[in-house]
This record gives sequence, C-alpha cells and structure tokens, in this order.
Amino acid sequence: MAERDRLVMRGIRKSFGPVAALDGVELRVRPGEIHGLLGGNGAGKTTLMNILFGLYRADAGEILVGGRPAHVRSPREAMALGIGMVHQQFLQVPTFTVVENIVLGTRLRNRPGLDLAGPLRKIEALAERFGLPFDPRARLGDLPMGVRQRVEIAKALYRGVELLILDEPTTMLTPQQVDALFASLKVMVQAGLSVIFITHKLREVLAVSDRITVLRSGRSVATAPRAEATEHSLVRAMVGEAVDVDRSLLFARGEHEAALAQSGQPVRLALEDLSAADPEGRPALEGWSMTVRQGEIVGIAGVAGNGQHALAEAVMAIRPRQGRVRLDGADLSALATQQLLARGLAYVPENRWEDGCLARASLAHNLILGAHRRPPFSAGRFLQWHVIHTLARALIAEFNIQARGPEAQAGDLSGGNLQRVMLARALSQEAKVLILHNPTQGLDIASIEFVYQQLLRHKRTGGATLLISENIDELFLLCNRIAVIYRGRMAGTLKRGQFDAYAAGRLMSGMPGQDAEAAA
Amino acid sequence: MDGWESFIGLARLILLAMVPYTLASQGTMLAGRAGVFNVAQEGIMLLGASVGFLAALRGGSLWVGMLAAAIAGGLLGLALAYFTSTLKMDQFVIGLALFFVGLGASSLAFKLLVGVTLVLPQIPTLPDLKVPLLGDLPVIGPILFNQNALVYLSALVSLGLYYYLYRTSWGLELRAVGENPKSADSLGINVTAQQYAATIMGSMLIGIAGAYLPMVYTGTFTQGIVQGRGWLSIALTFFGGWRPGLIFAGALFFALVEVGSLRVQIMGGVVPHQVLRMLPYLTTILVMIFAFRWVRVPAFLGQTYDREKRSLS
Ligand SMILES: Nc1ncnc2c1ncn2[C@@H]1O[C@H](COP(=O)(O)OP(=O)(O)O)[C@@H](O)[C@H]1O
Ligand SMILES: [Mg+2]
Repeated sequence: MAERDRLVMRGIRKSFGPVAALDGVELRVRPGEIHGLLGGNGAGKTTLMNILFGLYRADAGEILVGGRPAHVRSPREAMALGIGMVHQQFLQVPTFTVVENIVLGTRLRNRPGLDLAGPLRKIEALAERFGLPFDPRARLGDLPMGVRQRVEIAKALYRGVELLILDEPTTMLTPQQVDALFASLKVMVQAGLSVIFITHKLREVLAVSDRITVLRSGRSVATAPRAEATEHSLVRAMVGEAVDVDRSLLFARGEHEAALAQSGQPVRLALEDLSAADPEGRPALEGWSMTVRQGEIVGIAGVAGNGQHALAEAVMAIRPRQGRVRLDGADLSALATQQLLARGLAYVPENRWEDGCLARASLAHNLILGAHRRPPFSAGRFLQWHVIHTLARALIAEFNIQARGPEAQAGDLSGGNLQRVMLARALSQEAKVLILHNPTQGLDIASIEFVYQQLLRHKRTGGATLLISENIDELFLLCNRIAVIYRGRMAGTLKRGQFDAYAAGRLMSGMPGQDAEAAA
Repeated sequence: MDGWESFIGLARLILLAMVPYTLASQGTMLAGRAGVFNVAQEGIMLLGASVGFLAALRGGSLWVGMLAAAIAGGLLGLALAYFTSTLKMDQFVIGLALFFVGLGASSLAFKLLVGVTLVLPQIPTLPDLKVPLLGDLPVIGPILFNQNALVYLSALVSLGLYYYLYRTSWGLELRAVGENPKSADSLGINVTAQQYAATIMGSMLIGIAGAYLPMVYTGTFTQGIVQGRGWLSIALTFFGGWRPGLIFAGALFFALVEVGSLRVQIMGGVVPHQVLRMLPYLTTILVMIFAFRWVRVPAFLGQTYDREKRSLS
C-alpha cells in the first residue's frame, strides 16, 4: 500500500497561537490520480498544503514522498521533491511579464543580458501540450484572473512537478474556464502527474476527482474513491453536526422558498442609468439600470473586478456617480450616504475588514455605526451608551456572534463572526433594501447557512436585496433574477427557470448571450 | 572666452556635487528594491564622513578612508537588515534609531581620535584623473573627463546597477523580493539573504557618499558636513522612481539646485541666505508634487515579510 503512494502525510498537527488549525491529519496521494481535498472554509486545507510546500512548519507529523521521509523546510526543498503549488491567492509579481514570473528563481544563465529565448520556447511547448493558452510576453498585471491562473499552473509545470497542488483554483473562473482547467488536469494525470485539487464545492470534486479526502476542523474525516462517494455522504463528512443538512439552504436541491417568484410586488429599488468611475478616473460602471421588487433577491454575477464594487458604492453614494436612485418611487439621487442609510438602504461591503468595520472599535460601536446620530442611540450630541449596549447584547444573542461581549474589538473576530456583525447592523436598522457584496466569501459552512437564512428572513418581510456575488452557485440558489456585469456594463440578464451556468459564463466573459434578453 | 570659462567651472562643480546624491540614492534604491526602506542615510553619511576622514588621516591614503567608510556604512546596513529582516521590526523606527547612532558615533570617533583642537587636521583632497585623449577635448574634456575618480565611479555604479537589476536573473530575483516577497519565497528565493545583501551593499554606497564630502570639499570633518544631503537622497530616490537611470539624472538636477543656490548666495543680493539654504528642500517638495504622480515604488517597500503571518488581502 505504502509503496503505491506518491505522497503520505501522517499525523500532521499545526497550531497558530491558540488556534489548532490541523489536529492529526492523514492524506495519501497515488501517482496519476486527481485527489480531491474537500472541506469548508477554515477546515485547514490551505494550512496542510502550505506545510507540504514548506511554507509553514508542522508542529508534529511525518511526510513521505515517494516512500521516503521528507523534511520540507522551504519551497525550494519542496520543488526539489517535485512538488508544485498554485496558491489560493496567486503569488505573482504583477509588474513582471509572464515569462519573468515563470522563470523567476530558476537558475538562468546570465549571458550578457537575461537570456529568455530558451525558457520562452519551453513555456510555449508546455502551454501547448497542456492546453493553457496565454501570451508569455504580456505584463502579468494586465491579464484577467483566468489567464493568471494558467500562468501559475505553467509556473509549476515549468519546474517539472510530479505532484501539483491546486488550492481552490476555480473560485475566480467562469464555468467554461473550469471545464478547460479540468481538461488540462486530465492531460496532466495521463502524463503520470498527481494532482491535489482543493475545493469546498461538492459538484467540482465529484466531477473531476479519482479519490476524495474530506477535511473538517483540522481533521481528515474520510478518504473514499470517487465511485463510493455520494453527495450526501460528502456533505455529512464536511459539516458534521454543525448544520442541519436536510433543512439547510446551502445544500438544498430542487426549488425552495427563496426562489419564489415576486412578480406582482411593487418596485422597491430602481436604478436608472447609473455611471461611476474608479479611483483613477476610468469608467467603472456605465449606464446601469435595473429594478428590485419588494421581497425579491436580484443577483449581480460577474468575474471579480468588472465593476461590482463601483456598482455597490454608486448606489450608496460612496463614490460620485451620475444617474438616479429611487426607493419606493422617491428620488434619492441627491442624498448623501448618511441619509440613504436613514432612508433604509443598508450595505454590507465585500471587504469586511477594511470597508465594513472599525477594526479597533468595540462591537457595540460597530453595531450602531451609521445609525449613531439618530435616536435612540444619540440624544442631541451625546451617545446613549446604555441603550447602545443593551441593543448590542441583544444582537449578539440574536445573531449568534461568538464574542466576549459588546466591548470586544471587532478586529479580533473571525470572518464568519464579523459577517454576522455586518448583517446584524444592516438588518437591525430596519433596512428596506439590502446590498450585499460577496457576503459568504471565506466563511465557514455554518456561517454561510446563517447568512442565507437571514436573506430569506429579509425577503419574507418584503425587503429588496441586491446580491452581488462572484459565486454563481450562490446566485442560482437564492435569486429571482440575475444580471451579469462585464466591464461595467450589463451583459445580459437571466430569469429563474433559465439559470444555466454556461449561459452565465458566456455573459461573464463578454460573449453575447444566446437566449438571454437585454437589460430588464 | 570668459563665458566659456565660467560655464566649464560651473558644470564641473555640478558634477562634483552630483556624486554624493548619486551614491546615496542608488544605495537607498538597492535596499528598497528588496523591500527595505532605509531612512538612516543622514546618519550613515555622517559616520562615513567621520570614519573615512579619520582612516584617511591615520592610514595615509584616501582609499583606506573610502574602504573604512564603506565598512562603517555596511555595519549600519547589517544592523538595519538584522532588526528588520530577521527580527521583523519596523523599518522606520530602526532607520531613525540608526540615524542617531550614526550621528553620535561620528562625533564620538572624531573626539576619541582627534580630540578637541583649534586647528582641525587636514587630509588632501581627491585628485583629478584625466582620461587620455578624451580629456583633451575642448569644453567636454575638462567637464566630463578630467574629474576625480568618484565622479567616474558614480556613473559606473549607476550603469552597473541598471544592468544588474534589469539584465540579470539575480536582479530579477531582487526585484521580485521587493514586489512580492511571498511569491519570491514560494519560488525558492531566499528573501532574507536578498534583503541582507541589498541593504548592506546599499549602505556601503551611502557610507562612501559620506566619505566623499571631507575628501572633496572640506579636507576635514565637521558635525554639519552632510547638510541634509542624506534626507534629500530619500526624496531623490522617489524622484527617480526607484530606477538607477532616472536617479542618476535626478542627482544631476539636485546638484544643479545645490550649486545654483550657492552661486546666488555668493553673489549676494536681496534674498536672505536662509531662504537660499531652503531652496533645495523647497525644490524637492515642488518636484515631488509632480513626481508622485508617475512614481512607482516597489510594492512591498517598508513592510516586513513573515512567512507564517497571514497577509490581509
Ligand atoms: N497564517 C495564519 N495565522 C493564523 N491563523 C491561521 C493562519 N493560516 C490559517 N489560520 C487558521 O487556521 C485555520 C485553517 O485555515 P485554512 O488552512 O486557511 O483553511 P481552509 O484553507 O480550509 O479554508 C483557520 O481557523 C484559520 O483562521
Ligand atoms: Mg484555503
């Protein structure tokens, strides 16, 4: 058994301060297989792979590569053992060209001048063989994420890997790009490579893996061949007892309450011809018009960086914009952010740490931010701290926020708990319209489920929701309609019932949709 | 003819004044390309001036002085690298602390070796070296090819650094460390080694820049000898966009401002000399207002890299 394994990791432990990220993990990978590593956010997948790649030092455990004990103390040693890794957050130098990024750190000959002709030929051959098209001479920072990822893969292949680790490689890809990636992976394993494919998405791991290991809270709970794994067994292994799988929205199959049509309801939020620029002054959003009805969840799909941020900030008047914003028919275009909040618009920004909270302020402080000038929190110029603390304690209980109390610092919370704070703040101020940007990014499964349940609650009370998300599955699950944003413009819309990942993918990459109509 | 004479004289002065700016800024740039933002230039230059002068006085040769100044600068660079790269402490705090170390150590060394005297000991100034043939050209000859060795050296250093950064794989690795050390680390590049090497070499250049001052201008060491050139070299590095070629050009400009304001001062007139002394700094601020629009600094400049630390992104 052991001889057949290209990689064995046994009893791996790792703590970050008080947090035990890995608690005795076992992983075995065979030659020529795609090994799926499945687990919710925070399960320890990245930590485990960083240990294998020599970026983190394990506290305990052993690693065998090709049957021999390996002490991987740095990425250089990992690469010498034939291990390559494509990181979740790409480790690239945006100011370098593609070739420079790929050859960086390899021993190049220094003729008078940096000789890149040889490497260039080798890279082009690799790209051809594994189906990874890109322009090697382009400046990396100018390339879209899908291409940058191919460069990361080429970087590993260029170094002659035998074991390739891909950490959540699909998060920034359109469905078409995911298929192309899977095709490349198949070519690699046919050539004898082993691939560790990390994901938190069931569908993907079932689509491409030969064997699957599930990780939960720092423990490997199961390893099974693809043929023996079912969606249900994997979900159970992934979430344990933390989530009621049968009643959960996240794992819901078929239609459910969230998707109920809301056509008869009056229009709550109307955006008319909204345009805004990015901080450098380039247009980021152009002529955006849409409506959201009461009790409706409307999604904005798109590849990251296509104007989603500008759209959210334009609606909330955080950045200067042209066009109109109406709430229940009233024109709010001239109002400032503070007044929009008072009228019932609530915004949960994508970057929780930087845009969403005051990291060094208390929870109580963060929970009333935006409403702090209004009664009952403020009387005249003075804050009513006893009222604020009472409310904070109530919200901490209601939203199940894990924290010491209202005095805890927001910056000390985990991502999932901070997101609960964001939602508690938005929903406690009687929001009529909720604008959310990637609300579940980086959250553990229980927190994702919580966010979805809160959205549903908001929907039931007649609230309108604008859900901006890069997670297409999430949009398909929750939305009545989806508008696709591409380079700041509406590329098309999809109605519930016609949701199709490939149609969305085409729109997201700027290709004209086939059966999608123009903007509603 | 007289016009030519004074033009040549002025141009020669500008090239002389260009040397310390060039060396100090190229040294700053080198460390910065590895992500280490050195702000101790003023202190390193003072120490270089003091140690360089004393070693030349005792050792009997200006070259011994240059070497000693480079070593002294290199030691401060080593300290900067140790505290920031190994101990992961804040680069600005350590840099400012090292400025004061340089300030104190420079006058301490002078007091210990020379003591308090009325007549300051003198060392000879750097001789001019005439390049054969080229040195005989009219106008260009005396300006460009009949200068002291460090004028040539600073041009060569600039050229060498350009070649190193953009034409060698070592340079590629160095630049990667300053842009994204995590990426460099993940590709097996020794981030710490790169930062040490760049910081120490850079500080050696800054030390030589300091030693240049007594060897060319005063022949002796005084407390005020550096006169803010160290601080200005930081501005110059930004002005030059952290690129060797532009820094060299910028150094010529800074030298022009320095020589120009001295000229006006000597000619006398209505402008109080305090205002003229402010001129280089004012010009710097004015230039920076425009320069900052196009300047690109190394992305990781001023930050410390810790492999197991999570980066917020
Ligand atoms: N560099 C780090 N410093 C502190 N804590 C960390 C670090 N990396 C990961 N963790 C913690 O370890 C746990 C596992 O994280 P991670 O391996 O990133 O999970 P996954 O990749 O499965 O989402 C989490 O609780 C996370 O907060
Ligand atoms: Mg991860």
